[in-house]
Amino acid sequence: MGWIRRLFHTSRAEKELDTELRFHLDHQIADNVAAGMEPGEARRQAMLTLGGLENVKEEVREAHWETRLENLFRDFRYALRNLRKDRRFSVTAILVLALGIGANTAVFSVVNALILHPLPVERPVELTFLENAHYGPSQSFPNYRELRDRNQSFAGLTGYRMAPMELETDRGAERIWGYLATGNYFDVLGVKPALGRFFNQKDDVNPGASPYAVLSYGAWQARFGGDPAIVGKTIRINRLPYTVFGVAPPSFHGTEILYWPEVWVPMMMQPRIEGRSWLDERSTWNTFVIGRLKPNVSAAQAEANLNSVAGELIRQFPSENDGLLFKLTKPGLIGDLIGGPAKAFAFGVLALVALVLLAACTNLASMFTARATDRQREIAVRLAIGAGRGRVVRQVLTETIVLSLAGGGAGYLLASFLASILSRLHAPMDFPMQLNVTVDWRVFLFAMASSMAAALLFGSAPAWRASKTDPNAALRGASATWGRNRLALRDLLVIVQVALCFVLVSASFLSLRGLQQALQMNLGFQPQRVSTAAFELSLAGYSEERGRAFQRQALEAIQQLPGVQSAAYSNSVPLSIDQSHTSVFPADKTDLRPSDRVGVVRYQVSPEFFATLGTRLLAGRDFSWNDDSKSPSVAIVNLAFAKRVFHGENAVGKRFPSYSGSPVEVVGIVEDGKYESLTESQQPAVFWPILQSYNSTTTLEVRSSLPAAQMVSEIRRTIAKLDPELPLYGAGGLEQMLGFAFLPTRVAAVALSAFGILAIMLAATGIHGLVSYSVSRRTHEIGIRMAVGAQPMQILRVILSRTAVLLLFGSLVGFASALALGQVITSIVYADHPRDPLVMVSVWLAIALLGLFASWSPARRATRVDPMVALRYE
Amino acid sequence: MNDARTELLKGTLDMLILKVIALGPTHGYAIAQRLQQISRDFFQVHQGSLYPALHRLEDRGWLQAEWRESETGREAKFYSLTKKGQRQMEAEVANWEQLCSAVGLVLRSSEGDF
Repeated sequence: MGWIRRLFHTSRAEKELDTELRFHLDHQIADNVAAGMEPGEARRQAMLTLGGLENVKEEVREAHWETRLENLFRDFRYALRNLRKDRRFSVTAILVLALGIGANTAVFSVVNALILHPLPVERPVELTFLENAHYGPSQSFPNYRELRDRNQSFAGLTGYRMAPMELETDRGAERIWGYLATGNYFDVLGVKPALGRFFNQKDDVNPGASPYAVLSYGAWQARFGGDPAIVGKTIRINRLPYTVFGVAPPSFHGTEILYWPEVWVPMMMQPRIEGRSWLDERSTWNTFVIGRLKPNVSAAQAEANLNSVAGELIRQFPSENDGLLFKLTKPGLIGDLIGGPAKAFAFGVLALVALVLLAACTNLASMFTARATDRQREIAVRLAIGAGRGRVVRQVLTETIVLSLAGGGAGYLLASFLASILSRLHAPMDFPMQLNVTVDWRVFLFAMASSMAAALLFGSAPAWRASKTDPNAALRGASATWGRNRLALRDLLVIVQVALCFVLVSASFLSLRGLQQALQMNLGFQPQRVSTAAFELSLAGYSEERGRAFQRQALEAIQQLPGVQSAAYSNSVPLSIDQSHTSVFPADKTDLRPSDRVGVVRYQVSPEFFATLGTRLLAGRDFSWNDDSKSPSVAIVNLAFAKRVFHGENAVGKRFPSYSGSPVEVVGIVEDGKYESLTESQQPAVFWPILQSYNSTTTLEVRSSLPAAQMVSEIRRTIAKLDPELPLYGAGGLEQMLGFAFLPTRVAAVALSAFGILAIMLAATGIHGLVSYSVSRRTHEIGIRMAVGAQPMQILRVILSRTAVLLLFGSLVGFASALALGQVITSIVYADHPRDPLVMVSVWLAIALLGLFASWSPARRATRVDPMVALRYE
Repeated sequence: MNDARTELLKGTLDMLILKVIALGPTHGYAIAQRLQQISRDFFQVHQGSLYPALHRLEDRGWLQAEWRESETGREAKFYSLTKKGQRQMEAEVANWEQLCSAVGLVLRSSEGDF
């Protein structure tokens, strides 16, 4: 392949060309001198006839390029002609590639949107998210202020918080999600408004004194009809007037990739938005912080700088800042909280989908090798009339490249289609979560690169075969070229296909089993037939006193509804997105050092909460309406809490120190449950009586015999009678509301099942192809065997034994790989045991069935060979 | 140099080069010289067309090249015909002769008819 060599060795070729031309020139001069010219004149004349050394070189180079282009065109024309001749083959190959590349590109576009795509802000590489190495992604607001004023590494640090708000429009009040953000927010991010202006540092100075709002583009369009005169108008948030300063551009939706807020309000309005001010509380960690690094400051330097400030903060406020340590992470996924698992999930799926493409390539490689065998004569003729082997290889590769590009193009279209579906998906919950999967140049490059990689992967085997063709043998008769070598290659390809199929099928079985286990898992409550609806009283302007009265009134009204078995209210329900934590101290500790704290999940619940949710009370009693602010502090805890805080003793009647150190008596113990995610390890949980610790966020839980939809509309009507203005959110059946918790498991099960099905289809066609091929090749031999009296069963054994051996080998390799890849798979799917024996046995069975199924029809054909016909064959 | 000589029929130069090289491995300068001598100075081949042609023929696999010492003791690039080149030359010469005799027939017959 001289032209390829020349592409890479241009400098050597150039030097040779120079030497060659100088040789010519010197000879010309010498001849001119011999003919009697003056040396100077001889040189001048020689140069004249040469017409400029550089010009000649340029023309030689052009000649090379022309031949290269000519060859390329000829190869492409030849490839197209060949592929057109064999239309069924080409269409199959393009389809297989389109599925493989399409699936890969679609997964990659999700990875791209989630991880690679930069935030739509100015110089996104300079932005970094501030995280606590021990406590997670939030900071206390006083700490944010100290960091902002004391650091030397950041051009700006901005603090913000996701917050629900109640927005009034023409359609009435609705609960929406927005951001509370410090005044420098938009300046630090470097975003330009689509309309009006953004608020700035000067607009965010005194608590409660900056009633300004910036709308998201979507909210402006959807809730205000794109009103061009919106700037300067007053809107009502939480029943107070706010002036609209401007509208954000359509591409900007804050700094969280999955979160689509509708409004930005200055941080100083936090007390008005959330009811209780924590702006000066050192113990409330509610603020996310993003910083823009100064030019020439590295993330490591900034981290060191922040941690020296952290040292000062620990000395000044030891009890609140105990163990404070900062680390910087990429913004967009709330640090490692979502970023960690999301990345593991995304790359895990990407790895598995790459295996699908690999299986597709292996499949195509064996199809191509078979085809190359059929074309042996043609190739042999071409070799015999003097085509170089390099040229034959190049032609085979050109064909695979043409196919890959066609398949890649179709795959890219398929991926764009899938991406547009994914972008429109909304998670089934009361939270504006969405992933905008755009198909950008990175995705296009990825599709092209995987096409080329595929072409080389599946083209190299047949190309290698073609180059090994012995023209003499091939022309003497096709059978002469059936060496052991090629069969070994095809066998190897089938083994690889079966192994890949095994891995992918076991991943999909594991994900399905995980989903099944998750659905049957004991959640610690019975969500069936429970309906919920939530409202937020402080947003609606209720004081604590009026709020308490309203909660009680609403509950009593709902308990009166027909069909209601029991009802209760709480600040939140387990496995919803809104979970709270607190810390307590082990019962035997008296000095209450911060390092002894035990983190627990915290709920505030009304009497009958456990009965309504179906959580078993294991010991003690439920709360009563007498557990109010006048009676001593009590709590109900789960088993894990009792083990952790009381070291397994019977906890009922005992006391433990709460966060503030004041003692609380345990009156009941309930069973353990899942609180934040299905995959969490067992967490301790504490339930406070809501009468002793008021919370304006109210979720009503109703267990009834009515269908959820009917119950919810009854609840709506009942609440509307009490306060027609109060917006309800999160209304629906609890089972449906748990969609959020089951979402990752479901997504994984759907994706991996699709991969599994693709892999099975590929392996089935691969095995079918191999058996058909070997039957047609051995028709003659089978005929002889039958003529000498072999029974159909014996023929079957001959044909199938080889397939069985290949299947066994492939499955063994796949089994080993699946065990080795268990770690990757558990990062994607919820599985108790990544090596679940039941799953592994089913995969073995599935592969065996697959082999039987795929080889059935060619094997039957073998038993029906007519010896007379077979012996006349060829 | 007149126009007839510069506008060699496309491909003709290739054939002539192949023919000259068929006489034995030669370097570029000698090919030019020999073409000029044999054609009695009719063809004066420019380097600007000779070398691109040589490299093109080499790319097509009709010529192969090797570096060795020339008669003057300097390293030079010697071209020789490959098997494929040999066949190509024979085909082109046959083609050319057919073309010439056909053209000759037409020219002669027209003299007689008018």
